[in-house]
Amino acid sequence: MPDEIFSLIGLSFRFPEDEAKTLTGISFSVHRGERLVLTGPSGCGKSTLLYLLNRLYPENCDGLVDGEILLFGKPAADYAAGEINHRVATVFQDPDSQFCMPTVEEELAFTLENLQTSYDEMDPRIQAVLELTQLTHLRHTIIQSLSGGMKQRVATACALIMDPEVLLLDEPLSHLDPYTAKQFVQWLEQLQQQANLTIVAVEHRLDSWGSFFGREIQMGGDGNIVADQKFTTRPSVLFPVRQPAVQPETALHAAELSVTIKNKQLLSPSTFSAHRGEVVVIAGPNGSGKSTLMKLLCGIYKKTTGTIESDGTGYVPQSPEYLFLTQRVDQEVAYSGASTHDQLHELMVNLRLDEIKEAHPFAVSHGQKRRVAIAAMLADKRPVLLMDEPTSGQDTAALLELYGLIDQRSKEGTTFLIVTHDMEFAASLADSVLLIKDGQMTGKFDAKDVWHDEELLASHHLLAPKGVARLAESFA
Amino acid sequence: MRNLLHEMNPSVKFLLITLSMLAIAFFFNPWTPLLFWAGIILLQLTMSRINWKLWLLFMLPFFIGAFGYLWTTVVFGADTGGTVIWSFAGIDVTDEQWARALSLAFRVMAFSTLSLLFAFTTDPVKFILSLMQQLKLSPKLAYGIMVGYQFLPVMKDEFTQIQQAHRLRGAEMKKRSWQRLLEMRRVLIPMLAGAVRKAERSAFAMEARGFTGEPRSAYYRPVRIGRIDFLMSGVFFLILLISCVGGSWLS
Repeated sequence: MPDEIFSLIGLSFRFPEDEAKTLTGISFSVHRGERLVLTGPSGCGKSTLLYLLNRLYPENCDGLVDGEILLFGKPAADYAAGEINHRVATVFQDPDSQFCMPTVEEELAFTLENLQTSYDEMDPRIQAVLELTQLTHLRHTIIQSLSGGMKQRVATACALIMDPEVLLLDEPLSHLDPYTAKQFVQWLEQLQQQANLTIVAVEHRLDSWGSFFGREIQMGGDGNIVADQKFTTRPSVLFPVRQPAVQPETALHAAELSVTIKNKQLLSPSTFSAHRGEVVVIAGPNGSGKSTLMKLLCGIYKKTTGTIESDGTGYVPQSPEYLFLTQRVDQEVAYSGASTHDQLHELMVNLRLDEIKEAHPFAVSHGQKRRVAIAAMLADKRPVLLMDEPTSGQDTAALLELYGLIDQRSKEGTTFLIVTHDMEFAASLADSVLLIKDGQMTGKFDAKDVWHDEELLASHHLLAPKGVARLAESFA
Repeated sequence: MRNLLHEMNPSVKFLLITLSMLAIAFFFNPWTPLLFWAGIILLQLTMSRINWKLWLLFMLPFFIGAFGYLWTTVVFGADTGGTVIWSFAGIDVTDEQWARALSLAFRVMAFSTLSLLFAFTTDPVKFILSLMQQLKLSPKLAYGIMVGYQFLPVMKDEFTQIQQAHRLRGAEMKKRSWQRLLEMRRVLIPMLAGAVRKAERSAFAMEARGFTGEPRSAYYRPVRIGRIDFLMSGVFFLILLISCVGGSWLS
């Protein structure tokens, strides 16, 4: 019988400002060497549960805990501040806000200083952890200049330098593209075996993890445990099969389009067009020029050469709230003044904004914010919509909602150009795929052909979507 | 030699500069600040590697400010007596008034040069580390500032992105500057919302790595006080002494 690391007995948790309990009746134990994943819909309390295990909660939120939390056989409340963090390390979701020092080496030293390590011990330990994590070449690199995937590796190294027994992961892949995510998981697998770690992760997208986990605790919307079972690999989100709604009229035509900013060519001349109702997915490695192309098409960047003919292009950034200018949803949609009262009303009803029309645009949910942004763009007579990474950090329900929204709008003639790393999502929606690499357009392909061309996909840092077999059947 | 100012301990440099400013503030003759100013520029010329073009650009507002002081003191200054040295357009300028005006103007120049000397020769990260190690600044505050410093480039990106998005919505640039200032609030609200979220995440990440805000027992990058600092303190005091004594003697 391996020793028990965590043991929760009849745990419930409530935030002081909430009426309802975030977690109820949670009981389970974690044993040494286990690889456990906590799953469940957004807002089910899985992150809260994780924060109770490393004692960030309840102190930081004055939360009310009932039941027992035993960490290494000792009640959580008996630990001094920071004491448990030496044995339980955490890697968080956002690669941008986990660091406080300029270089990798200094960041690692920050952890050691927190542990009151003596000066002579610091250098050997930094060297050792860099070797273990194969990051020695990055020792003097400025952290902010690294890619998201590398930042997550550095964050993991910063956690491992404490020589922890447990590693907690809070959706560590949600900001990485599938290719980078897969590499990260392989790397983590090696580390887990070398360092004999116990891993507890929170994750809602399991497809990138393959067969990494051994056990799964599924949580329900009310903060209770629905199932505690052996982990089984499962297909990613199942999107419904979609009927293309491409109309013959051209909605957007770009010819010999290029942009040069500060003597650097960000996009070399590209020509393509899109039809009304067409859903085009733009894909390629990070930093290849996808966002540049979007900003160029909607006029944020000035084009250096070429022409764009379109019905009007609108842009929905990854954070839709960047667009908001007013204090009310209905004013937000009506802001441009380009649509009549009736048209506005129809849009509001169509996008289900009628029920929240008096709310503050910043106060509604993320999905609603995006609908407000889309409505505002359509009301401004911009029927070609460019969406930047709408899938990043979204759970299954949110992805399905987004899918439904795009499907419905495209039937009504809206053209979508979507930048996304989520290949399953792309495969379910796309009529065509536009591949970009190193600021150069490889071409616009028919969606059916692209998903089977693994070589072409791999050269653009993409993985073939797992639902391809299913799609192929439906086309046959 | 050209590295001396850069390699000084930032806390020592900070204290020396504060002390010199306080000392100079007690001298009302025009010569002391002038001598001191000349001394600081000489110091910068010989012991630092600064970009003089940039320095001139940063000094420009101070030049204008100093001239403003000079002008207003001469024209609007209270009547202090003394001999009239020249007069034009009905304004009599006495020697005492002139001396006071010059003193004020040189003081502005001396203080701004001194501040720029600090800003141009000090690495902000090293300064904060040194404040924590030498002047016992609480690690909570020190690392808080450090995180903020790391966020600056991210905030700048966000600012441009929001502005671009707003321009796309047709929020045209207002002509008057006060209107433009008022428009800023629309950019600032989403930025603030994002900043609060980021701050919380950073705090969690730091705490999860065992940061409690307690003073630390050892530093990976100790910022020490060495021979250079004693030497440079001597140089600063020498400049200060020469300008104080010389200034009093000359006037």
